[in-house]
Amino acid sequence: MAVKLQVSGVGKDYLIPVIDTVSFSVEAGEFVCLLGPNGCGKTTLLRIIGGLEPATRGAVLLDDRPVVAGDVHTRKVGVVFQEDRLLPWMTLAENVALVLKPLGVPAAERRAIARRHLGLAGLAGFEGYYPGRVSGGMRQRAAIARALAIEPDVLLMDEPFGALDAQNRRIMQTEVRRIWQQTGRTILFVTHSIEEAVAIGTTLLMMSARPSRLRELIRNDGRVERAKLIDDLNTMIMEEVERQQGGASA
Amino acid sequence: MAQPGGGRDWVARLHLPTLGVMLVIAAVWSLLSWRYGAYVLPSPASVVRGFGEILATGEVWTHTGASLYRILVGFGGAVGLAVLMGLAAFLSPRARGVVHDVLAVLNATSVFVWIVISIIWFGLSNWAPIFTTFMITLPVVASNIVEGVENVDRRLLEMGDVYRLPGREKFRSIVIPSTLPYLVAGMKVGFGLALKVSVVAEIFGVTSGIGYIMNYSREILETQMVFVWALVMILVMMVTDKLVFDAVSRRLARWR
Ligand SMILES: Nc1ncnc2c1ncn2[C@@H]1O[C@H](COP(=O)(O)OP(=O)(O)O)[C@@H](O)[C@H]1O
Ligand SMILES: [Mg+2]
Repeated sequence: MAVKLQVSGVGKDYLIPVIDTVSFSVEAGEFVCLLGPNGCGKTTLLRIIGGLEPATRGAVLLDDRPVVAGDVHTRKVGVVFQEDRLLPWMTLAENVALVLKPLGVPAAERRAIARRHLGLAGLAGFEGYYPGRVSGGMRQRAAIARALAIEPDVLLMDEPFGALDAQNRRIMQTEVRRIWQQTGRTILFVTHSIEEAVAIGTTLLMMSARPSRLRELIRNDGRVERAKLIDDLNTMIMEEVERQQGGASA
Repeated sequence: MAQPGGGRDWVARLHLPTLGVMLVIAAVWSLLSWRYGAYVLPSPASVVRGFGEILATGEVWTHTGASLYRILVGFGGAVGLAVLMGLAAFLSPRARGVVHDVLAVLNATSVFVWIVISIIWFGLSNWAPIFTTFMITLPVVASNIVEGVENVDRRLLEMGDVYRLPGREKFRSIVIPSTLPYLVAGMKVGFGLALKVSVVAEIFGVTSGIGYIMNYSREILETQMVFVWALVMILVMMVTDKLVFDAVSRRLARWR
């Protein structure tokens, strides 16, 4: 399979070094879950990959071309942030249709595509609702529908279900997994839930404590039993959380 | 459930307690007017009569129209320039600093300064009250717009970047809708201020407008007409608030 995304030696320093160096590559159609203790730089890494933040070191290649921060105008990358980031003064359908404008899609078609993707996200009948009038789960699904509507090559998702209750979370996991299977997109998915990662990811990346490196890359192909995998990952993350706290107090 | 709720709503809509207080005030007013005489305090009845007169002669429209015209030009100009200042503050951090400083100075300047200066510059003409209104309302409206521009959610702008919305589209879909409520709030306060200020400026040098006619009524010892024109001013204020600004605010908030 073709390498879609190549992260080589990427590091980031703010006031403190956050990401030491991280390297990995993702093949087209993979569903990668990014795990790690809070504050280890998962969001930062995702933002670097999405071209929203410059890396201090290293490079990101998307389809063999470097991602340059601030120059997100060249490729189709969908981002689902931790918050829905819907425009509150536009209906769900208008929110989705808006992002199709830069692609030169005619207005009637924009509406049709918005309808279709909202339907896929289980929001049929709610196209005309303003974000403030639907639940948080529905808003997040609309944000996912918006990201998918541009048919992105790569979909970056940063703890998209963080604000959802357990039940909605389960539903959305199944939903995203189904959409992934139907569309074959490459997905990079940040989560702090190990169960979630094991349930939906094909590849699991465990990051270490800050300044972070890649601690473990696990193929979630069913060869290792699920329960054991969850156990192992739990042990790892406990160690990293402990190390990070130790580092902070030292 | 609907019945008692509806009843209370009815009471609230009529402002019955307010009405009661006003009746008491009217009674005390009548008493005081009878005690001190019509020159100092005209009776409520004479004020109502005076109001009827200016309505019948159409004088009410002449002077209200003259005042409103000056307000619309001065205040309208202020809104226009305020929007440009907001735009500059949005586009350049350096311009934002300048705008902040200019507004701080304007905010600290008294109405009287502008009245005197405008008489020196424009003499006894329409432009004196117009200029005064312009200078006084500009900082109020502009401060609001600039605050609105500064409060545009950066996360929404970043979303716009992710989806490669062109600058024009980001401005239309993100910046304008999030700044509009600030603009309307600023215009609401600004218009109230414009009415109050332009009337003061009309005392000097013009021969029409609510401020002029109030001062003239005082000079010819028709105190009841001073009260009548004060009433006209209050009505103009309340009507524009209800008909214009409340309606616009409601329309803006329809997605909330
Ligand atoms: N813009 C920024 N400026 C300074 N420090 C930042 C910035 N963004 C993130 N950080 C710091 O980088 C670290 C990693 O943040 P983040 O990537 O959000 O972690 P995670 O998503 O893994 O919880 C945190 O300590 C955070 O405080
Ligand atoms: Mg994060």
